[in-house]
Amino acid sequence: MAPFISEKPRGIASPQNEYWIAIALTVLVTVVSWPIEPITGHAAVALFYLLLVVVAGLRLGRGAVLLVAISGGLLWDYLFNPPHFAFFPLTLQDTILLATFLAVGLAMGHLTSQLRLKEIMEGKRERRTAALYELVQQAGLAPDLDSGLSAALRLTETLFGVRAALLLRQPDDGLAEKSFLTSSFSLDAKERRAAQWAFSHCAPAGKFTETLPDGQAIHLPLQAHAEVMGVLSVLPSRDTVLDSAEKELLEAFAVLIGNILQKEQLLQSIKQAEMCVAAERVQLQRALLQSVSHELKTPLSAVQAGLEALRREIGGSQRSQAAVFESQQALRRLRRVINNLLDMTRIESGVVHANLDWCDVGELIQAATDLAADGIGENRIVIELDNNLPLVRVDQALLEQCICNLLLNASAHSTVGGKIEIRAQVTGQQLFLSVLDEGRGISEADLPRIFAAFQRGATATPGGTGLGLAIVEGFAQAHGGSVSAANRPSGGAEFTIKIPVETLRAEVLERLA
Amino acid sequence: MNEKATALVIDDEPQIRRLLRILLEQEQYRTLESDNGRQGLSEIALRRPDVVLLDLGLPDMDGMSVLERLRQWSRVPVLVLSVRDGAGDKVVALDTGADDFVTKPFESAELLARLRAIQRRSQAGAEEAVFAAGHLVIDFNSHTVNVKGSEIKLTATEYALLKILALHAGKVVTHKQLLREVWGPNAEEQSQYLRVYMMHLRKKIEISEGPDRLLRTESGIGYRLVIPPHKAPD
Repeated sequence: MAPFISEKPRGIASPQNEYWIAIALTVLVTVVSWPIEPITGHAAVALFYLLLVVVAGLRLGRGAVLLVAISGGLLWDYLFNPPHFAFFPLTLQDTILLATFLAVGLAMGHLTSQLRLKEIMEGKRERRTAALYELVQQAGLAPDLDSGLSAALRLTETLFGVRAALLLRQPDDGLAEKSFLTSSFSLDAKERRAAQWAFSHCAPAGKFTETLPDGQAIHLPLQAHAEVMGVLSVLPSRDTVLDSAEKELLEAFAVLIGNILQKEQLLQSIKQAEMCVAAERVQLQRALLQSVSHELKTPLSAVQAGLEALRREIGGSQRSQAAVFESQQALRRLRRVINNLLDMTRIESGVVHANLDWCDVGELIQAATDLAADGIGENRIVIELDNNLPLVRVDQALLEQCICNLLLNASAHSTVGGKIEIRAQVTGQQLFLSVLDEGRGISEADLPRIFAAFQRGATATPGGTGLGLAIVEGFAQAHGGSVSAANRPSGGAEFTIKIPVETLRAEVLERLA
Repeated sequence: MNEKATALVIDDEPQIRRLLRILLEQEQYRTLESDNGRQGLSEIALRRPDVVLLDLGLPDMDGMSVLERLRQWSRVPVLVLSVRDGAGDKVVALDTGADDFVTKPFESAELLARLRAIQRRSQAGAEEAVFAAGHLVIDFNSHTVNVKGSEIKLTATEYALLKILALHAGKVVTHKQLLREVWGPNAEEQSQYLRVYMMHLRKKIEISEGPDRLLRTESGIGYRLVIPPHKAPD
C-alpha cells in the first residue's frame, strides 16, 4: 500500500498539468478577448489578463502563475496593444501597465506558493492527528494487549509503508530476544544490537539517525514517562526516504505504544495485588476455620470415645445402656450441627472450592445414603438411576453432602416409613440430582426463602439447624449450579440440584482402553 | 490376635490419649502414649509397637513428617487420626505411607475395625489362596470369583482391581495406588478408567444396594473392600 503520508494535498493538479492548464487558460482568454477588443479597448483586455493571473494564483503553482503572467503580458502587447502584431513601440502608459502586470504576477505566484506550503503542512498535521487517533482507537482500546500490539504493528506498516517489529521489555527489565509474535520481520544480530542501544539509551538508532546509521531498520524506544517499555523497529523498503515529519510521527507512535504498554502493566500489577490480598484472606480464613474445627471436634471425639467405652463396660444394666444410647444419639446430632455450622462458615467465607474429578453418579448416591443412614430413621430410600449414566466431573464429597442433607430434610418432613426417592439424570451437559418425598410438602410462605440460612419451615421437626438446605445451595453454587424446590402434584416436596458438568460415556472410554 | 498386641498413640490431646487407652485396653491392646512427634518416633524405635495411631496435628512436627521419617526405617502399620475434613490431607498421608485413617470424631467400632485390618495386612506373610468376605469368595490360585456360591466372569482388569482390594481388605486403597497397580505408573491421573471399571465390578459382585455392600467409596480418596462385621469369613 502506498504511504499516504507523502501524498499531495487534494484538489491540486500535478506540476506538469498545471502548465498545460495555464496555457489553455491564456489561450481561452485570448480567444474570448479577440472579438470584444474593438468594443472595450485594449486596456480592458489587459485587465482580463490580470484577472486571469489572480485566478491562476488561487489554484496553480508559482511557475504556472508566472507563465500566465508573462505569456499574458506578451500576448497583450503583441496582439492587442497598438500597433497590432508588433511588440514595439510602447507608450509610457503601456510600459507601466506591463510592469504592473508582471509585478502582480510575481506577487501572486509567491503568495500562492506560501498558501500551498501552509496547506500541505496543515494536511500533514491533520493526517498525523488522524494516525495517532487511529492508533489509540485500534491499539489502546483493544480488548487485550496482544491484539492491541498487533493492531499497532499493522497500522504502522500501513501508514508508513514499512515492515514493523516490536521487542518488548521482559519481567527482568531486559529487552526480549525474540520480537513480538505478530511482527513482520525479525532482527538479525546487528539490528538487534542497534535495538538494544535504542532501548538502553532511550534514543532512536539505526537508519536515518545518528547512531549506527548503516543498518537497514530504524529502532525507536517505546518511551513511557521515565521508562522504556521496549523498542519499535521499522524496516523501510530500500529506496524509501522518511522525511522529518514522518520520523516525528513514527516517534510519536513509539511513545504512544510505550504508554499503552505501561498502562497495561499497571493494570496487571493492580490485579495481581488484589489477587494476593484475596489469597491471603482465604488462607487466613482457612487456618482460622481449621483451628475452630479442631477445637470443636477434639472434645467431641473425647466424649464419643468415652461413651463408647462406657457402653462396652456396663454390659447388662438396661437403664444405663439406654442412657448411654440416648447420649450417643444426642452426640450424633451435635456432630451434625457442628459440621453444618462449619460448612456454612466455609461457604460464607468463600473458601469452598469444588475439586472436580470423574465420578460415577451411582457410587455418589450410594455413598450419600451411607452418610445419611443413621439420620433417616425408618424411611425407605428408592434410587432411580437413568440407565447408562455417563461419568461426570464433580466434587464428589460436596455432592454427597448435598444429597445427604436433602435426605435428612426429606426424612424430617416425612411420615414414619414414608418413601424417599432419589433420581439422577444427565441431559446434555447438565447433571440433575433430585430427592423426592411424600411428606407434607412446602408451604407457599416458606418456598421463596427455603434455601436461606437459619430458615426453618413452620412444620419442621425439632433438631434441625436450618442450615442443611443453605449448605446444599452453597455447594451447588460452588459447582456453578443451583438447587430448586417445588411441591409435587401428588403431594410431598421435590428438590432438584442442577449442575453443569463435563461428561464421559463409559463406552467411549472402553474403546480407548 | 494370638498374644497381646502393643499400640502406640501419638496425639497431643491428653484427653484423647486417655480415652483411646481405655478403648484399646478394653480390646486387649497394651497401650503406649506419646504427646509429640519426636518422642513418638523414638518410642517406635525402642518399643517396637505392633500398630501406631498418629494424629496429624502435632505441636512439634507435622504428622506428615513423622510418617515420612518413620517410613525410612519401619513398616509398622500406621492409622492416621485426622480432624480435618478435606480429602487432601488424607490422600497425602496415605501416599506418604499411612495404612488407613479415621476422621475425628470417630466411631470406636470403626476405629477398631481399621486397626484390625491394617494389622492383619502387616501380619499376612504369604498370600492366602482363598479370600472370603460375606457372599464373596475369591480363589487366587484358580483366578475364580464366586458370588453367593456361583462363579461369575470378570475381565482381567476387573479381576486385578478386585484382587488388590481384597489383599488390602478392610483398608482404604487410594485411587492413585489402584491406577498404578492395575494400569501402570503412567495412569495415575486417569481416574475415569478406575470409575468405569469399579462401576462394572459393582454390578457383578454386589448383591444389594444397602448398607451391606462390600465395595465402599471414600470420596476423593479411594475404595475400601469391607469385611462384613458379623459374618466371619467361612
